[in-house]
Amino acid sequence: MRPWFIHLIKLLFPPQVLLPDIVGIDIGLTLSALAIALYLTKARRWGWLWREWLTTVDHKRIGIMYIIAALIMLFRGGVDALMIRSQLIVPEAHFMGAQQYDEVFTTHGTVMIFFMAMPFFFGLFNVAVPLMIGARDVAFPRLNAISFWLFAFGAALFNISFSIGGSPSAGWFSYPPYSELQFNPGVGENYYLLALQVSGIGSIATGINFLVTILKLRAPGMTLMKMPLFVWSALVTSTLILFAFPPLTVALGLTMLDRLFGASFFTLAHEGMPMMYANLFWIFGHPEVYILIMPAFGIFSEVVPTFSRKPLFGYEAMVISLLAITFLSYGVWVHHFFEMGAGPGVNVFFGLSTMLIAIPTGVKMFNWLFTMWGGRIRLSVPMLWQLGFIPTFVVGGASGVMLAAVAADYQYHNSYFVIAHFHNVIVGGTVFGLLSGMYYWWPKMFGWKLNERQGRWAFAFFFTGFWLTFMPQYFLGLEGMTRRMASYPPGLGWGGLNAMSTIGAFIMGVGFAILVYNIAWSRMHPEWDTTGDPWDGRTLEWSLPSPAPAYNFARIPEVHERDAWWAMKQRGETDAVKLSPDQVEPIHVPKNTPMPICLAVSFFVGSIGMVFAWHWMAILGGLGVVAALAYGSLEDDTDRELDPTTVLNTEKRLGRVHP
Amino acid sequence: MQEKKHEDPTLPGESVEIPLLAPHLSTPHFPARQIAGYVASLILTGIAFFLVARHALPLSWLLAVVLILAFLQAAIQLGVFMHLREGRGTTWHLPIIGLGLFVGLGIVGFSIWIMLFKSGVS
Ligand code: HEM
Ligand SMILES: [Cu+2]
Repeated sequence: MRPWFIHLIKLLFPPQVLLPDIVGIDIGLTLSALAIALYLTKARRWGWLWREWLTTVDHKRIGIMYIIAALIMLFRGGVDALMIRSQLIVPEAHFMGAQQYDEVFTTHGTVMIFFMAMPFFFGLFNVAVPLMIGARDVAFPRLNAISFWLFAFGAALFNISFSIGGSPSAGWFSYPPYSELQFNPGVGENYYLLALQVSGIGSIATGINFLVTILKLRAPGMTLMKMPLFVWSALVTSTLILFAFPPLTVALGLTMLDRLFGASFFTLAHEGMPMMYANLFWIFGHPEVYILIMPAFGIFSEVVPTFSRKPLFGYEAMVISLLAITFLSYGVWVHHFFEMGAGPGVNVFFGLSTMLIAIPTGVKMFNWLFTMWGGRIRLSVPMLWQLGFIPTFVVGGASGVMLAAVAADYQYHNSYFVIAHFHNVIVGGTVFGLLSGMYYWWPKMFGWKLNERQGRWAFAFFFTGFWLTFMPQYFLGLEGMTRRMASYPPGLGWGGLNAMSTIGAFIMGVGFAILVYNIAWSRMHPEWDTTGDPWDGRTLEWSLPSPAPAYNFARIPEVHERDAWWAMKQRGETDAVKLSPDQVEPIHVPKNTPMPICLAVSFFVGSIGMVFAWHWMAILGGLGVVAALAYGSLEDDTDRELDPTTVLNTEKRLGRVHP
Repeated sequence: MQEKKHEDPTLPGESVEIPLLAPHLSTPHFPARQIAGYVASLILTGIAFFLVARHALPLSWLLAVVLILAFLQAAIQLGVFMHLREGRGTTWHLPIIGLGLFVGLGIVGFSIWIMLFKSGVS
């Protein structure tokens, strides 16, 4: 064989991707991909897939694709987590080698934050926000599709690293100097940099899109202070994204220059300054954790009133505390590196600002509790997740305040105490919130409900498993177990707590399996939502049929108060959403377009070129990007008109026309 | 879609629907301003890069010059590409640009404060 060929094989398949478990997964994935392709061919579904999904610009479908992708990523990140916990169940286990262990915790964290949590709430934004504000789409439907495909191909890029070329291993925040070429010569780190960069462009675009949508496309009469709180949370999340992602872009970009073009921004040599990376990363990183939690706050602020049959307690206070958290979360980032040694002045300032955040957060907690107080509470699945969230998040917030005490943090830092803290807030807050929102809006997305009984079991397992997994970790941290240990020696008294934690993780795994079963079973035995308002909801999305027609609202509703749909129901004016034949107008809808997916594929190809430093391929991808953008800018014929008869017929079929 | 009057889209509550559908405001003439802005921003970046790569100035001068270049760059971006001077929608532009400045300057200022320690360490 020719030497270049051998060299290429060695580059694509280094020893770390030839471990038996990885090869097994590769084979499984290849077979399932083939099976899906075969099915699509036999059922003649390729055209359908292309027309209805891959080229769509409909926010509802994009939302669904985001959520499906997020569930798949939750599975991937979850498998990583179970691998980590299996390794730690007993001292000195050798289930994985140290290198593989590092790769697994790196991909676990990165996948969960960037490719599970973020797309999951982007999905819920897409599904719910336009409907809640009475809009026909987001402000920039095409950009929305671009965002989705950039995310999808960024995630794909990150995920192929474990079978081709090797996974990154420098942790989800990827600190230099370890992430630099000198210490980390493979291509894994390049995958991390490029994948986050590509999906990051998509995230910024989503932030802009929802900012404009919410500021500009609200139904007449819906002033800012009449918006549902989920919309408020989407607004502040978008603002946070807009200001938080650029520092990440810079940090990743400079690291890439270091690795691929011999610069030395963060190297040890040539006066590089690795600590500047930590600074830049956390300027992004702390707002990011609030980006993750705000949507959950928004979801709970919808779920609690609906399932307590009471308006939200203290709406103004809720809005003000959202804004306060947004503002404060930009001034706390040093708490992730108090130990860097910036001095007492800096540390005290950032320690105090960190503690301040607990105040608006506490306000929100009390407001949810007061909303439930005296309400008629229904324990449906979305509400169960909400009830689970309250104690879990309180524990996480309280441990956060402990971490913010600078002197104490010198002890806690990089220990399992921190791991327990952030899983308390991210799983107990973000994931519980996202699942609550998924169960809540599922009927609106698909037209059928998820089975309640199975949903309860999924919750019960997940919730119990959660506490069993993470409570022991606080104590492990206090006993000195540091994070990211590939194994630990016996005789330190860590064995029992670690075993508990691993058992808890598997119980959560069972919870996830029930959730998937819940979805599959309910798909086969659908409980149709014929009213469009299965939960007796309060906001405008429940005034539409489930699922909503492509144009959402045949007639844009007028809003006079908060919880507009509830008010209409109270006054018996629900017929106002129906149409009389003389009111029908033509509706403009944007046309499907292949441009977004072509753009994302070009980014993908170019990124592969960058990862392996194949310059011709990077240039090829870059040209593809330019071509797709030029095509998109020059194309004029971007929307079409639904004529009044089509609209009228659709609405008639949905039973929404006055006789 | 309802026929909206587009006289003053900045009024609160007035919703500009999907902008793709708004009347095309494109001006047919050659985009000279944009191209000039693009070239100018490339030149500014090039100068900054050259100064740093060649250690062309003493450190404090270097910092000052790079900061000035950065402000020029931001002005070009805002003026040429961000439609800062277009009348439509200024009600939302101003507070958001203010917020952007506030956050941006805050981040830069705090970062300088945080990283000052390194003079004591190294
Ligand atoms: C009352 C509110 C909170 C306070 C006072 C707080 C405080 C802290 C502090 C001081 C640290 C650094 C500990 C160390 O590394 O030594 C930390 C870490 C962390 N926090 Fe929080 N936090 C709060 C809420 C949240 C929320 C809501 C989230 C996410 C939804 C979150 C996610 C994280 C993450 C991901 C880390 C660790 C990152 C890492 O090192 O990998 N925190 N928190
Ligand atoms: Cu933080």
